[in-house]
Amino acid sequence: MSQYAGSGPTIFDPMTLPVDDNVNKYTFCVELKGSQWFLQKGKMIAYYGSMEFNGIGHGRLDRLVRTSFHSPLHASDWVVADGSGKMLLADRAFDVNAYDLEDANMTIRSGNLLAFQPSLALKQSIVPGFLTLIGTGKIVAASSGPVVFMEPPIRVDPQALVGWADCPSPCHHYDHAYMTGLMGGLRAMTGIGGASGEEHQFEFVGAGTVLLQSSENLMPEQATGVVPHEPGVPGGGGVPTGPSQQAGAPRLPGQLGDLQRRFGL
Amino acid sequence: MTFTEINSKMIQATVIPGQRLYSQRGAMLAYKGDVSFTPNIQGGQGGVMSMLGRRVANEATPLMTVEGSGTVMFGHGGHHIQIIELTGDTLYVEADRLLAFEGTLQQGTMFMGSQGGVMGMVRGQVTGQGLFTTTLQGRGAVAVMAHGGVFEVPITPGRPVHVDPQAYVAHHGDVRNKLSTALGWRDMVGRGSGEAFQLELSGSGAVYVQASEEKL
Amino acid sequence: MFRLQGSKVLAVDMTGDAVKAKNGSMVAYDGQMAFKKMSGGGEGIRGMVTRRLTGEQMTVMEVRGQGTCWFADRASEINLVNLQGDKLYVESSNLLATDAGLRTGTTFTGLRGASQGNGLFTTTVEGHGQAAIMSDGPAVVLRVSRQYPLTVDPGAYIAHQGNLHQSFQSGVTFRTFFGEGGGEAFQIRFEGDGLVYVQPSERNTIAGDV
Repeated sequence: MSQYAGSGPTIFDPMTLPVDDNVNKYTFCVELKGSQWFLQKGKMIAYYGSMEFNGIGHGRLDRLVRTSFHSPLHASDWVVADGSGKMLLADRAFDVNAYDLEDANMTIRSGNLLAFQPSLALKQSIVPGFLTLIGTGKIVAASSGPVVFMEPPIRVDPQALVGWADCPSPCHHYDHAYMTGLMGGLRAMTGIGGASGEEHQFEFVGAGTVLLQSSENLMPEQATGVVPHEPGVPGGGGVPTGPSQQAGAPRLPGQLGDLQRRFGL
Repeated sequence: MTFTEINSKMIQATVIPGQRLYSQRGAMLAYKGDVSFTPNIQGGQGGVMSMLGRRVANEATPLMTVEGSGTVMFGHGGHHIQIIELTGDTLYVEADRLLAFEGTLQQGTMFMGSQGGVMGMVRGQVTGQGLFTTTLQGRGAVAVMAHGGVFEVPITPGRPVHVDPQAYVAHHGDVRNKLSTALGWRDMVGRGSGEAFQLELSGSGAVYVQASEEKL
Repeated sequence: MFRLQGSKVLAVDMTGDAVKAKNGSMVAYDGQMAFKKMSGGGEGIRGMVTRRLTGEQMTVMEVRGQGTCWFADRASEINLVNLQGDKLYVESSNLLATDAGLRTGTTFTGLRGASQGNGLFTTTVEGHGQAAIMSDGPAVVLRVSRQYPLTVDPGAYIAHQGNLHQSFQSGVTFRTFFGEGGGEAFQIRFEGDGLVYVQPSERNTIAGDV
């Protein structure tokens, strides 16, 4: 009658549940004492105490929204949890972790952001699909596989990128070294041998931290809001600018895309 | 050891000039230093014959050569990774479970049908994995992926091990495999095909079984 | 007899006895084993109707023999529960294996979360012995006591034991939760004395996957 965790799994009650910390790799516990947290809809799995979950933009908490949200969001994706008690958050058995920001900034892919304290300001990043959180407070993020922290200089597969803190936003790196020479020419012209799938990465330099997940599974994107249609605003202006529009788009083997154009093939 | 485990789903490999690594295409998550990733037309040291073998086998897992000087992080689909060290023996592994392996290993393909005649062919039909398995031989490390991780079951003479063909990942040692039907198993209607048969492994070695009956 | 090999594989050492397990969940065995398909849901007309309604999910097999048998199901996490004469209620699709000596039955729990097709049936397990339940991610066990009732998202609920009373509450604005996979406009409230098992995921459908 042996079980792998000693005499049995740990049984939790409101006293023993951790405060604002992981219960296990996939579950996070948040304590509310008459306070609020923003969270993605549907990510609460259980709670002790009395809590209310209200959609953003549905009345009472407008002032909170005004100070913390700076992005025209689709209101139905986020809720505000308000009350007293302990609440468990989880997301499809993905790894969840909390990050503490102290007068700092962190940019994270929208699909990976699970919850955050209203003391942080949420803004849309210039890099499409990413959100930037600024200030002091806690963020809870989900990832496909545990998060690994690395320091620049580093090149990262776009699908493995979760976010970054402090360092400048990344630039695109195209590896077309293998396209040169005879074999390279053959590949380019005929498509035989395909592509390695590693032709494009995000490159980070500077001082800061890069967060990676252990997989190229993208968490489904959450709407980050519409980019204003103004000239000079990337992604919002008139004519779409070449490769930068495809940031993060998975490249299929054999598909040479803009490299083809670059070589005039 | 060239491969180190960062966590259960990500490994790190140090690449040194003159030493190559092979990995599944698209499995690189990040890298530092000066490393190049070249798709393999041949996929390893197999040469033309091996390529032909692969064509016939309809192996859908393209490889890439990793060389240069730096550190590379590999992972794929959030699957669990197991590092297996080979010390001269041969590892038989499903091609789509191979994440990365050292260039010092000799790569080949084996026709699994040869061990068991008709039943071997049926195995290919049944598991949908094709009739071929990749073999790796020599000294070096191999990183293998599986859905949910693998556990090892030793095979000893006189005590054969039966495995659900869809849960089979790899095996090493002096092992014979054959497909058989277990009494009563035939009327098990499982979720997919393959439940009517089991893979019987006998001899001396070990088999790696994954914690799921789902293909990757 | 039941032991965990890692957290996603159940190993059962048998010496001539039997274990009942979810059909299709066996990944390997050594020694001699015999398998018999059993129909879940119960006997007679009621059993037949139950099987019809639940489809493949309820099919159970009995494994008997000498040696070790390994069970796993789509890399789900496995939790062992020891029953000492009490009763465990578990979502039918979350039950992996039970000691053959335990008595299993089915209760129809109604249209809880019917929008996702889950929660129609609960399996009851009682007696003395071990049961293995599965979850999408390691389960968290929460104690419910008179002063601390618990509210649970139906998609995260796996099992409970003890003296608990369930009720449904919709203390949330319907609009708020509408849209996530059909929406879970209800929550389950547990009161009394007992334990509730929840998984870190809302994936809990008869089909198995989102």
